[in-house]
Amino acid sequence: MNYPDDSALLARLLSGEQKAYRELVATYQGAMRAVAFAIVGSRNADEVVQDAWLAVVNNLEGFQGRSSLKTWLLTITANTAKTRLKHNRREVLIDDLPGPHGTIGDEHFADDGHWLLAPHAWHQDTPEKLLMEVELRECLEKTLVSLSASQGSVLLLRERQGLELEEICNLLDISLSNVRVLLHRARLKVFATLEHFEETGKC
Amino acid sequence: MLTCKQLVERSGDLLDNRMSLRTRISMRTHLLMCINCRRFIKHMRLSQAVVRRLPVEESAALDSLAARLSEIRQGKQRGNHQS
Ligand SMILES: [Zn+2]
Repeated sequence: MNYPDDSALLARLLSGEQKAYRELVATYQGAMRAVAFAIVGSRNADEVVQDAWLAVVNNLEGFQGRSSLKTWLLTITANTAKTRLKHNRREVLIDDLPGPHGTIGDEHFADDGHWLLAPHAWHQDTPEKLLMEVELRECLEKTLVSLSASQGSVLLLRERQGLELEEICNLLDISLSNVRVLLHRARLKVFATLEHFEETGKC
Repeated sequence: MLTCKQLVERSGDLLDNRMSLRTRISMRTHLLMCINCRRFIKHMRLSQAVVRRLPVEESAALDSLAARLSEIRQGKQRGNHQS
């Protein structure tokens, strides 16, 4: 097996060790939910994730270690979600909703393409210091919730789960250029929230 | 020359490190000369790190899910031994 950490965990999972399942669920539930959310939307995401977990437990012997455990889990989740959708039309995936603090758009630039207003200096220069502010954390949660399902999922899979853009394309059946657009828009909204908070001290 | 607006539009390729050599050079050149865009990119990287580290609540629901999954597995193990 090419993934030594996975193989140790897999042995414990096969034996039914409860602590191993807690590790597995805590590590991958978020990513699985993001995949399901992007494909079937919020209403059915939890059910799809439940079904995917059952498929995982029932097919553990089928995991060959040719991919990472994470890729295997996310593929099962995507397939479960797509099966659910078979007879329903996919929602438009490139939808864009306004973020609570806007984004960085045309209005930020002069006709010659230069910044109209310089980006603000931030008070904090590490993620740890920024996240110490409870109000900022809550503010960011709001921004993340405001993202469309596909934007939020792509952001989470890329930034929190570290998936390559190609992996995200394959899981969600979205073209690479659309994944890049979704990710860029989501990142700019997060940036705009931080910028706003650092500038005004308020959400 | 790349404008600030164009640099912002392509900033994702910089963050994800997916640039052609030519784009990489024109972005580097722009960043050397432009303090505003340097600050923007620095803050975009900081935003990324913040999203990565944003704490999530550990919910009790996950514990019960884990318990259920391990029970199913243990049930399967017993089934296998019996057959
Ligand atoms: Zn610039």
